[in-house]
Amino acid sequence: MAVKDKIDLDIFKLVFEVITKSDNVQTMSNQLTQILVGGLGIMGATIFILNPELEELEILASSGLSINYINKGPVLVDKSIKLAQNREPVIINDITTGDRLQYPEKAEAEGIRAIVSLPITQRGKIVGALRLYHSAVWNISETDIDYLQVLAQNIGIALMYFRLANALRDVKETVNDIHAVWL
Amino acid sequence: MASQKVLVPYNFTDHDGKALDFVIQRFANNESIEITLFNAYVPVPKIELRDSPIMEKISQNLAFLQQKIHAQEAEIRQARQKLLQNGFSKEQVHYIFRAIKKDVAQDIIDLAIDSGFDVVVLNRNPGKITRFFTRSVSNIVINNLKEIEVDVVT
Repeated sequence: MAVKDKIDLDIFKLVFEVITKSDNVQTMSNQLTQILVGGLGIMGATIFILNPELEELEILASSGLSINYINKGPVLVDKSIKLAQNREPVIINDITTGDRLQYPEKAEAEGIRAIVSLPITQRGKIVGALRLYHSAVWNISETDIDYLQVLAQNIGIALMYFRLANALRDVKETVNDIHAVWL
Repeated sequence: MASQKVLVPYNFTDHDGKALDFVIQRFANNESIEITLFNAYVPVPKIELRDSPIMEKISQNLAFLQQKIHAQEAEIRQARQKLLQNGFSKEQVHYIFRAIKKDVAQDIIDLAIDSGFDVVVLNRNPGKITRFFTRSVSNIVINNLKEIEVDVVT
């Protein structure tokens, strides 16, 4: 049986409207996960940021998942989904048939059956991950994977923009704090 | 009549739990204290239906997601319950659960000033990398609330 695409151009347009219209990263990342959950009809979506010192993935935004599952514990980079050091998309069509998860019992208790994880990169380096969670076995199509890879790359660019904008705001606030007497 | 109004931003994490413990330690059994727990969530985006069945389906799914977000109100009620079980009366503990107006830090600042809070209790996790992208809420609140006591639990 042919694998059905879940993502089409209308959904993709919505996703990019959220990215381009948001004026802060909280709104952008949360609404992005919401659109993915609503648009793909899946259970949940999470955007992680890599903490290179702790080798953990920190949650930037998440939709559809319970607070208990979100607070399940640190998500370690090399253990959370044990494949190709997270550099390639990782597709777990059915979590009950493998041992690639760090918290398999918690995923099962949450009702997760399939996970798709895509690296978020900046200038070729991994800075995070976009993960999608489905409550049924998910044979994701090649086209959907392509769409999601493009999306993950754009999230990386958006994150770089917000990071630089924040640095500029910090500089501006510091300069504003300088009394005229010092200038 | 409360003589001190305390605002406690609460986002369901372990660190928020620590802030709650601090509030209990510092203010329990003090009848002149009024506590307000505060959570601001990102609402689902409004989408144009454009006479498209796909957009209609997405809109329905988003409405369901919005219901799930509202279900998180139960978690903040649990936090309130914890305070009620640890030295506070029903009249002393309130909560606000609403959509973000600007961003989390600015919403805390606006609420603290507009509603005349005397103390804000925040938590902080200095090792978090996400602060580079979202900016540190505690730093922004501290820098902008000059006339209000801000306690940061680490």
